[in-house]
Amino acid sequence: MHLLVLLFTLLGQFSLPVVYNEEPITLYTTGDNLAFAAKNLNDKTWSEIRGNTANRVFWSRTHLKLHQTDSSQRPLGLLINSFGAFEVYWDGVLIGKNGKIAINGKEEEPGTESSVFLIPDSLSIAGDHLIALRTTQTAQPSADRRVGFRIFKYSTLLTMPLIAMAYMNLMAGAFLTAAVYYFFLYINSKRRQLTILIFATICLLFFLLLIMEYLKFHVVIPYHYFYTRLEVIGWLTFAIALLVPWYFAIHFHLEKRMWLFGILLLILLVIYVYNHGRYDLTASLYSLAMLMSTFLIVGKAIVRKEKGGFIVFAGLVISGLVGRYIVYDYGLFISFTVIVLCMLYLHSIRASELEQEHQEALALSSRLQLELLKKNIQPHYLRNTLTSMMDWVEESPKDGARFIQELAAEFGVMNDIAEQTLIPITQEIELCKRHLAVMEFRKEINFQWEDSGIDESEMIPPAILHTILENGITHSIPLSGNGITFRLTYIKRPTMRQYLFETLARNRPISENRHGGTGFKYIQARLLESYGQKWTFHSAATATGWLTTINILN
Amino acid sequence: MKILIIEDEARIARRLQRMTAEFFGSKAHEITVCDSLQKGIQYVASKPLNLLLLDLNLNGDDGFQVLERMVACSFHTIIVSAYTDKAITAFAYGVIDFVPKPFDEDRLFQALKRCITPSIKPEEGIKYLSIKKAGQLRLVGIAELNYIKGAGIYTELHLKNGEKELHDKSLEHLQQLLPANFERIHKSYLVNLELSDKVLVSPGSKYGLLLKSGETLPIGRSKYKELKSKII
Repeated sequence: MHLLVLLFTLLGQFSLPVVYNEEPITLYTTGDNLAFAAKNLNDKTWSEIRGNTANRVFWSRTHLKLHQTDSSQRPLGLLINSFGAFEVYWDGVLIGKNGKIAINGKEEEPGTESSVFLIPDSLSIAGDHLIALRTTQTAQPSADRRVGFRIFKYSTLLTMPLIAMAYMNLMAGAFLTAAVYYFFLYINSKRRQLTILIFATICLLFFLLLIMEYLKFHVVIPYHYFYTRLEVIGWLTFAIALLVPWYFAIHFHLEKRMWLFGILLLILLVIYVYNHGRYDLTASLYSLAMLMSTFLIVGKAIVRKEKGGFIVFAGLVISGLVGRYIVYDYGLFISFTVIVLCMLYLHSIRASELEQEHQEALALSSRLQLELLKKNIQPHYLRNTLTSMMDWVEESPKDGARFIQELAAEFGVMNDIAEQTLIPITQEIELCKRHLAVMEFRKEINFQWEDSGIDESEMIPPAILHTILENGITHSIPLSGNGITFRLTYIKRPTMRQYLFETLARNRPISENRHGGTGFKYIQARLLESYGQKWTFHSAATATGWLTTINILN
Repeated sequence: MKILIIEDEARIARRLQRMTAEFFGSKAHEITVCDSLQKGIQYVASKPLNLLLLDLNLNGDDGFQVLERMVACSFHTIIVSAYTDKAITAFAYGVIDFVPKPFDEDRLFQALKRCITPSIKPEEGIKYLSIKKAGQLRLVGIAELNYIKGAGIYTELHLKNGEKELHDKSLEHLQQLLPANFERIHKSYLVNLELSDKVLVSPGSKYGLLLKSGETLPIGRSKYKELKSKII
């Protein structure tokens, strides 16, 4: 698309023979006399410098030479880039006005920076010609901007910017859509990723940049606001130059990226201050700084074998070449577009990674759910419980009936929590107590449950304390008096919520390393499922038995 | 009868103890209960034993780790376990019975009866014999066995490859565990009939069995008739 614009522009410039073959020199004089428009006036005494004309009328005269043109190139048009309000005289004939000049005590009606006039066919024969401008520049008299002329086929002068703008608007629309889409994505996403917000912002800024760049073609901007537009464009470029490397730094997990951000900000500010007023230079220096810092980041990403590193690197090389070799007005946009496309590519990679993570999380959740369900129906638990139960029923039917009640109660709680990923802590404690009641019948040990500091509004992944309790029962020998005490303590700290689970008993001799058993894996998987990386789990023997610590970090 | 129960669940251990005591009734018996594998292993190493009742999962430890060691001993082992899917493996190692939990008196009595009735073979076939050698355990595939010779309280396993290994179990216990093709041809010999060639009759009504390996083993007078019909 950009190439099309480029091609069109280049064709526009080279297919028509240049109608004047030298850089015309413009001469100025302050004062007003309609005779200054005459083609053959002696202007040898006129100055090449306009000077500050304040609110007076001044005239400029520019001599140029036309080549022979054929009918396909006619009618010719004259494009003038100039400040002020002026009347245009071609060989002494008034061919148009841009704004209204300040004469006879009337206020100036400012013209716009770029204007196009039709040159009458009768006056466009080969040979010498004169353009005289009767100008006032009262709105911004100090601005000393050279007057620029271009002569092409009139219709081309009118349509060329429209065609360029059509393509640019197409691009701008794409970026606006992307910006809106990614903003919505950010707002509605549970995991608000900073990169998505930055990317949306970059798309929006880029949309604004394109709109600002071509604003002159659909809004008549009075000449004294010409620099305002350039200033806005400058700041948009500034912001993009800052955000693009930042995006890549975050995406490629660069360390010390705040440093990079700070240094880049400083460099951009220096460029701004040092080159203030030279808008095109500032913008290309901004993009150079942006490219350089992005190259650094992507280089590091490639060294660290980050996914997508090479693609972005290739994009940056293309972007750099485009920025270097293509005329600024288009080059900047093309090089930015290439970079944004790189980002979009990275985004699609990231999105597919997230999709995969999501799938894995779902798979993990259902696996954990199954594991939880299995806890109560696994043969070791069920068959041993049934054996004990048989014995109780045979030996003492009343106790046997109570035992059955307790087992039913444990099943009840287990059934309630089976499909949850987080349950109230009170429910988890209830599960532990029910389990102890069952185990008391089986083991004939006096199990004691103690808890303190419990915040009843807290939630916890299901059956993780239950799993620690099971381990405690399995690996402990009762103290004198045939008792084992389990003590749960909840402590809310500024940085975390802490559960301390103590088993007060003698530890059985360990025949094999107990760490990393399926029980611990279950607990860790549950913590991972609900808290991501924000938890720690520690379990070790103590002088009084065993202590398990779960920290849920804020 | 000296019996050891290795079971970590107090209630189940008591149940086993009670039922076993009831089974042996007035017969002289002595029952010991250990609630962990470590204690059980120590007991087996230091005290003589006639029968072991073993749970396969004790306080999170896998009983299979010690099963090999236990079946290499002279006594019979009955597994009492919740892991019913491990039954075939347990039989392959040479246990006399596998009692799945939950169990009632009838099922346990059935297992105990097997232990004292040499003619009842296990439900599933044995695949290995576990042997102790220089403090290490080694599994010998049943198909590797040529014949077994009684040697006092031990037995000598004669393997196809000519090697000879000692086993703690008596000829009677091994005969009970091994499949039917292992035939007692003499009070001191248990032979894999599939590897035998023919019966030799020597002068003086002495009978011998020629094995495919070329060895000749004596046949007991009382066993001759029965054996002859089986081989022919």
